Amino acid sequence: MDANLWVSGVVYGLSMGSIFFLLAAGLSLCFGLMRIISLDQLLYYSLGAYVAYQVNVATGLTWPAMVCGALAAGALSWVVERWVFDRIYAREITFTMITSFGILVAGVGAIKYVWGLVPRPMGIPVEAQVALLGVNVPVYRIIVIGVALAVYGLIQWVLNRTIVGTAIRAAVEDVDQVEGLGVDVYRLFTGTFVGAGMLSGLAGALHGPLVMVDPQMGLEVVPFVFMVVIIGGLGSLKGTLVSAFLVGQVVSLGSLIYAPLAQMAPFAAMLLILLWKPTGLYGSALLRR
Amino acid sequence: MSHHHGALSVEGLHVAYGEAQVLFDVHLTVPPGGLVACVGRNGAGKTTLLRTIAGFLRPRAGQVRYGDVDLVGRKPYELARMGIRYVQQDKRVFADLTVRENLRLASSATGDWDWDAVFRYFPRLKALLDRKGGYLSGGERQMLMIGRALLGRPKVLLVDEPTEGLAPAVVEQLGGVFQELKGQATILLVEQNLPLVGRVADKVYAVKEGRVVAEITDREAIRSAAVEAYL
Amino acid sequence: MNGRLRWWAGVLVPFALLAAGRWVLPLPFVVEVLIFSVYTMACNFLLGRVGFISFGQPAYLAAGAYGTAFYLYYFGRDPLVGILVGLASGAVFSALVGLVFVRLRSDYFALVNLALAVIVYHLMQKVLAPITKGDNGLWFLDRMSSTPLLDLARPDGFVWFAWLVAVGVWALYKYLDDTVFGACCLATKTNEDKVKFLGYHDFKVRWTAFVLANTTAALAGSLYGVYFGFVSPEMASAARAADPVVVTILGGTGTLYGPLVGAVAFVGMKDLVSGVVGNWEFFVGLLLVVIMLAGERGIWGTLEPWLRRRLVWRRPAPALQE
Repeated sequence: MDANLWVSGVVYGLSMGSIFFLLAAGLSLCFGLMRIISLDQLLYYSLGAYVAYQVNVATGLTWPAMVCGALAAGALSWVVERWVFDRIYAREITFTMITSFGILVAGVGAIKYVWGLVPRPMGIPVEAQVALLGVNVPVYRIIVIGVALAVYGLIQWVLNRTIVGTAIRAAVEDVDQVEGLGVDVYRLFTGTFVGAGMLSGLAGALHGPLVMVDPQMGLEVVPFVFMVVIIGGLGSLKGTLVSAFLVGQVVSLGSLIYAPLAQMAPFAAMLLILLWKPTGLYGSALLRR
Repeated sequence: MSHHHGALSVEGLHVAYGEAQVLFDVHLTVPPGGLVACVGRNGAGKTTLLRTIAGFLRPRAGQVRYGDVDLVGRKPYELARMGIRYVQQDKRVFADLTVRENLRLASSATGDWDWDAVFRYFPRLKALLDRKGGYLSGGERQMLMIGRALLGRPKVLLVDEPTEGLAPAVVEQLGGVFQELKGQATILLVEQNLPLVGRVADKVYAVKEGRVVAEITDREAIRSAAVEAYL
Repeated sequence: MNGRLRWWAGVLVPFALLAAGRWVLPLPFVVEVLIFSVYTMACNFLLGRVGFISFGQPAYLAAGAYGTAFYLYYFGRDPLVGILVGLASGAVFSALVGLVFVRLRSDYFALVNLALAVIVYHLMQKVLAPITKGDNGLWFLDRMSSTPLLDLARPDGFVWFAWLVAVGVWALYKYLDDTVFGACCLATKTNEDKVKFLGYHDFKVRWTAFVLANTTAALAGSLYGVYFGFVSPEMASAARAADPVVVTILGGTGTLYGPLVGAVAFVGMKDLVSGVVGNWEFFVGLLLVVIMLAGERGIWGTLEPWLRRRLVWRRPAPALQE
């Protein structure tokens, strides 16, 4: 097969994986700390894309539009956390999963109401191509990969180098103990949730120019995000990064080998991994509570 | 008594997990700066009592007071910041955090960075600052848990089974620490080790099946472990 | 004797109401409600009795639908046989899948089922396109032969057949609630974390419940296939994955009448609200959140005590919540 195809395939897969990572990281952190499965993250993803699109249309700016998308997503997630999640943290996981699904469905309905059903094209911030191993690849995709890696580094830095991060790592092990030390864990929860919402919004905004912005975009990535989280192991950031890139590559390179299988292969891979390790690659059985 | 000390008092406390009631009409008082022990078999409700005072469980009825302040209905972190500190049982320190990070967490929550005060009681911790909680011995973990709780100058210490499974030498050392802490904080100690209780406690409550069945104030009875008759 | 009579009255009264609706309400609405309630009963059983939440029910729905469609498109003409083939393919499919899935923790279970639905979707849309005709779907409406007594090939005959099936399935689940098996299911639900330690017996109970429920979902798929005379991959689409879960919760999880009430409300909302506002998901989602925050009793769970007070029912209470 043509080497050019492989290079651009790998870059394509990495950029897909980056989007998946940004989405799944928030989901995974929320699970680790609060023991919730927050499907409404996919709403913040869609909202991030739409707000970025709208600001882009209104002002012609691209990068600032994306920042606006992330901020709007963060704001909405803050409202949802205060009104809904704050009341249900103590409930079991399936309960939060169903409730957050309700939020997602209602939110997608609201988006349809505001922006209609027609997919919207979003302007790409960088049109340029750069030669990589003699193959032209879009600079924007490389930037997306860079953003994901930077976010990963930032989260790791916060977790390992700051006092807030120390509190989060401790609370993942034992929330009661952290609260017993005098730490306001509810503020920690709110912060983590809003952070996750902003990352989801950023993912949506970054993904916007690569796909069309449409109301179903959140539901379309659901299976992939689930898969990334499952393969990586709920609650593990490193696992999430590894599996996001893995899934991105399987989708991208899989389509080069045999197109019809591309969408299916990662799911089959996931089933195999679960047969082998029922809590994912890096998921720890210790995390159960 | 000095102005910043008050008595810890529990009155008519009823606590239940859903349908299952665990504590029935519990009354007890810890005088300011005193050390009172709760003894009783496993499952008698001692841990439930401490968790309720610390705010992790909401009583069905009854009052918990420190001095004139009502403690019921406050969140655990608020109580901790007020100086009501709970040292959990099972020596649960964060396995993934170093001793330094453990102390740093407690310091940032309480604003008290005077670690020397901790090392005065537990000099050993100073050498272990960079070791992760998961690699500490049982005794070291207990030192860390009590040391953490000392940051922020606690008014009340609720200590749950600190000596369980520890070597006699460490128990001996902890006994000394408790004796030193007496007078500086009001301490409620849940403990099964009767010799230790005999050494440090001013008063002992025997708890059986969710009720206080005896209050022993006679020093001689406490020292001679006569408490055992009530269990 | 009296008890048995009352038992059957409990089954038949709501369905008699629905049957009467046949002459008042539009036919497609009644059929849709009947099939959807069968579909939801499976999900209700999984969620309310076994504690499994599955976002992958469309996979099993499609397994039944395609079983039926393959038979009616390639091999035979008799819709009754088609439905039996669909049922069998659903049972085999869920029996195999269950061997892996039933062992998973509840959070992973929900996620993995959705993934399965996606696999089935792509399998039917692309990979098996030569035999499934991909997105065009399989059309076999005019290939179906007439059946004696009730002509399944015609909607006015089919509606009564669907009615009978729904009553039967509903009676089966009502019956199961009173059996040892039903009690075992409830026990595994409350002790999910201990499953590992309990070992094989528990696995068997969960596996049986899983196969039973998903075969029911497959049956609903077969009914859809025969009713429309058409099956396409759209059926397994992830966008529809949560419908049965939503309807279960709307109706009232774990209640016996919940699936029926939920199906009426859901299909009704889809038909009515979408006619007026054109955007009914918003209301479905909002309703779901409100129901969850209000104590997750659902429409039936809320109505039932009220009705009981009003009508002074003498019937023993249907098992409400755990």
